[in-house]
Amino acid sequence: MALFRIPPFFLVTLWCAFSAVSSPAQDSAYCEELLASAAEQRLHEDRYWHILMHYQDGLFGIESLVDDPRFFLSLKGKTDPKAEIRSTIRAFFEQHENENDSAVCRFPARFEWISERLDIDPDRVPFSSCRSFENFMEMARPSSVTLVFPMAHLNSPASMFGHTLLTVETADRTKLLAYSISYSAVTNETFGPFFAFKGLFGLYPGYFAVLPYYAKLEQYSDVDHRDIWEYRLNLTVPEIRRILLHLRELESIASDYYFFQENCSYLLYFLLEAARPSLELSDRFHWWLIPLDSIRVIEEQGLITGTSYRPSRTTKIRFLASNLSEPENTAALAMTDGIPHEDALKCAGISDQEKMTACELAGEYLQYLYSKRRVSEETYQERFLSILTARSRLGADQGAAPRRIAPPVQPDRGHRSDRLALGAGVKGDDAFAELRIRPAYHHLMDLDDGYVEGAQLIFADVALRYYPEDRKLLLESLDLIDIVSLSPRDRFFRPVSWKFDTGLIRVDRDHDKSHLVYQINPGGGLAFGGTQGGLFYGMLETGLNLGGALEKRYAAGAGGSAGLIRVVGGSWKIHARIRDVYYGLGDSYNLFEAGLQQSFAISPDQSLQADISRRRTGDFYQTEFRILWNLFF
Amino acid sequence: MVKKFVLAVVMISFVAIPVSSCFAANQKNTGCGLGSLIMQGNDGLAFQVLAVTTNGTFGNQTFGISSGTLNCEQPGKFVSREKTSFYIADNMDNLANDIARGHGEYLNTLAVLMEVPEGSRTDFYTLLQNNFSHIYSSPKVSSIEVLGNIESLM
Repeated sequence: MALFRIPPFFLVTLWCAFSAVSSPAQDSAYCEELLASAAEQRLHEDRYWHILMHYQDGLFGIESLVDDPRFFLSLKGKTDPKAEIRSTIRAFFEQHENENDSAVCRFPARFEWISERLDIDPDRVPFSSCRSFENFMEMARPSSVTLVFPMAHLNSPASMFGHTLLTVETADRTKLLAYSISYSAVTNETFGPFFAFKGLFGLYPGYFAVLPYYAKLEQYSDVDHRDIWEYRLNLTVPEIRRILLHLRELESIASDYYFFQENCSYLLYFLLEAARPSLELSDRFHWWLIPLDSIRVIEEQGLITGTSYRPSRTTKIRFLASNLSEPENTAALAMTDGIPHEDALKCAGISDQEKMTACELAGEYLQYLYSKRRVSEETYQERFLSILTARSRLGADQGAAPRRIAPPVQPDRGHRSDRLALGAGVKGDDAFAELRIRPAYHHLMDLDDGYVEGAQLIFADVALRYYPEDRKLLLESLDLIDIVSLSPRDRFFRPVSWKFDTGLIRVDRDHDKSHLVYQINPGGGLAFGGTQGGLFYGMLETGLNLGGALEKRYAAGAGGSAGLIRVVGGSWKIHARIRDVYYGLGDSYNLFEAGLQQSFAISPDQSLQADISRRRTGDFYQTEFRILWNLFF
Repeated sequence: MVKKFVLAVVMISFVAIPVSSCFAANQKNTGCGLGSLIMQGNDGLAFQVLAVTTNGTFGNQTFGISSGTLNCEQPGKFVSREKTSFYIADNMDNLANDIARGHGEYLNTLAVLMEVPEGSRTDFYTLLQNNFSHIYSSPKVSSIEVLGNIESLM
């Protein structure tokens, strides 16, 4: 008990004295002086300290989002900013054999900031700078920072959710050699459901990783086939230094990764705030943070100065193919099949420029096939070399300027992710008013600008209806997850289109028999066409409905759907569709529906929608018409 | 009969989900020749569905910052030739594309690494294009050979 009566300042002195034992040159008096000065300035309450420590105000007080104990020098550091700053100052006085183990090297951003605020005398601490970090800075000479956003995978609307990372460009090197900085969860999990569950509830550790940008491009552009947007940021050289100082502190430090909140985009906020503390990013309250929305927030803070577009391999292949005639495309495909270029390029009247394009197309396409493991390594090496040899012999491009792919609408200029819809309609003889709200993300009927055509990702879409005649307010539907991927097939790409829809829907068996059931509805099929001519699709699907109102409480069946989606004049979208499902198990009935949906975009963030459908459930026929006003926010 | 068929179809469509749900992460096909690129993982339907919640950011390798550079113990600079050699090894295929075309970002980066003065870059690109089959001399050519072949032209 006696120990507790010792005044706290004595304990501090004791600590500083102990530190001094290992390093006789250090003076504990100076350590004490700094601690007192930090307390006087209330440094532990400074916003910058909270940024560096990832402190957040929570229900139970202040807590750091970092979960790795090695990030804290005080045992109470996760929840006690003051204890942590005191331990940090003391740690600067510890002697180490290897400079890299010192607090100055492990926490260089803390050291620079504290040292500036307390005006620490470099001669009176064992280490006054971190040499390995300074060497790196001298070698790299960072000059600018870019925010990178890879768009959705080919045929994977789920990836639309996206990812953001930073790249740091250096003074004397090209973009490819920039350092990419990204935060992601690390796992070897292979079983999908565990993967999703653990990710939602923060059971995976998240780490920062630094790789050359070309390695990231190989993955995103060449393998995953995602177009990439680069947003240049106006960070200055001293600000970039602070990003790297803080990044060094986070080296192999884990934070629990939460898909929706503490995700790749959120952790980048701390790096940006470490660079420029006046930014207001991490404090914003959010239920979830969609990477694309983080770009909008960063733009609002005035950081973005320009954008550039980096097409994926798939986009390049489509572009090259569009520059050639059908026989020339056939020639390119023949070369990838191993036909010698002399034979393949014998088409009548083919110019040298077209031969070049055909060779380039063949080379890119062969790389694509190889990344999908559709050709063996040996075959690939041989054909790739022979195609490129043929290309090199044709010499330089003859066009005045190299052909460029026109960038599409940039993602942050597309509609926002949350949608509120108000509308009214008639179902059978009953008029209703409708209110819909969904947090994410993109519907087939929404304007495609900034998104991938034919891809839909809907998450938690709730629809309520009020029937004034009966004075009834009803839950019309709840789409938990509704994904559609219509990926058109052509001579080069043969993807399988698919859908997966699950949630609560209504089954109307008679005028006054409308029941909510839980449905699971997957499907797979083919799509053709795309862009101006319209996108056609056909799918086989199955359905499982569960609900007390169904005979035997369930209905299972199979069927199909088909449709055409077409955009007219840029802002008017039409979707005509039919769907026929036979439920043969449990409650048996046939569901047939035909519908026409139209939407007209008034602006990127507003649209008017008119839907008409005719439905037969068993032997009950029903027609529904509704008009909706959609607001994206 | 019809019922059994429907049941079978429904069951298969649902069972297919977990079966195809393996998220095999991208694997690097090791080697230093052509075709040593990352191979695509096997993403089935369920993975796609579940990926809604993953932001698609999962990897299965821990690339610590140290594997990048920030912590490098090496004295300030790599030997320049070594840097070029790493770069070629990592970008064999895309560099081949650019050399055959006589222009491109990968070729430009090579010129920067090899410290080719800006004024002579066009000549450098033409030289490499004209000698493509000398540089990429065989389907099994290694990155070290590619670098050697380029140097022999200069």
